[in-house]
Amino acid sequence: MWNEIARYLPEFSSGVLTAYDLTGMPSSQRVQPRMDNSTQVLRFAVSPGPAIQPGKACLLCHRHDEKLWNLKSFVVQGELAQDGAGWLLRPEHFIPGMGIGGLNSYLRFVRSGRKNTAEYLNRHNMPRPKVNWQMVIDLMSPEKGQHES
Amino acid sequence: MKDALQFSSFPGALPPEVLEVFTRFMTAEITTLGKNGCPVTWPVLPIYCPQPFQFVILTSIGLLQKAVNIRRDGRVALLYSEPAGSELSRPPAVLVQGVGQAPDRLMGSLEELDPAVQQAARAQALNLVRKQPGMQMYLANPISRWLMDWYFMRQVITIRPQRITWWPEGDFSQLPATVEVSHVE
Repeated sequence: MWNEIARYLPEFSSGVLTAYDLTGMPSSQRVQPRMDNSTQVLRFAVSPGPAIQPGKACLLCHRHDEKLWNLKSFVVQGELAQDGAGWLLRPEHFIPGMGIGGLNSYLRFVRSGRKNTAEYLNRHNMPRPKVNWQMVIDLMSPEKGQHES
Repeated sequence: MKDALQFSSFPGALPPEVLEVFTRFMTAEITTLGKNGCPVTWPVLPIYCPQPFQFVILTSIGLLQKAVNIRRDGRVALLYSEPAGSELSRPPAVLVQGVGQAPDRLMGSLEELDPAVQQAARAQALNLVRKQPGMQMYLANPISRWLMDWYFMRQVITIRPQRITWWPEGDFSQLPATVEVSHVE
């Protein structure tokens, strides 16, 4: 897992850290994680804003371009803690998202989407619904969109 | 931290630069809580609805873990911190904390949504196709349709805000401003 983090984290200048705040709600903020190879933890400074608690936490790294293409993301789940040097995340799981693994990531996305959908429909004893493609295309048509809204 | 403001005073109680983030950002980062209590955060395309003040996510049943998590534990965070595509210069980063609802029901058509949410969903789709003009051609392709039909089978996630926090100019090293949303009228 550390090898995957080492491979992909340098592509991101920041990530979204989420932990629990003092009211027990999930609280997110951007941090700039750096790898501590000697102890295999991620270190970062946290915002002076919402106080967060040590415990279960995750770090999402994601990006897209101005046109919402070139998506890339991954999540690291683990344990948030503090030591003498500051805040750190001890990674426990690496979850690849879009764009991790090149073409394989797209195949993984399609395959898991189709599999999850089939399982959902089976579980609910539902036939596969037919997508109303004309409605989807109309939704993205400026003329139709203005006409119908 | 400011005192809680009545739900009915939103979104007007928020500064215009925060509202601009809700309408102009293409993505946000949603956090739900897994079965073991560990947060998990993924990028989404949220729909902002000013009246009533709420956030809606139409999630595919092929990517349903968010909705499953919310049905088990409604606590949700939605962070707007990736301005790419917003055409805004140094916008604030905005954190919405609240309670999500995700009925286990497949959406049949857009018309099932509240008219205000329908309108916001249409605006989002138009903005997306303005950015990605090839999208309509992609959706007209039979192979794309066969591969991706599941992506358009959606459930509705609604987020009712309880607390809004924002960092001016997206600078997380600074103290943010926070407003609590009171749902007791």
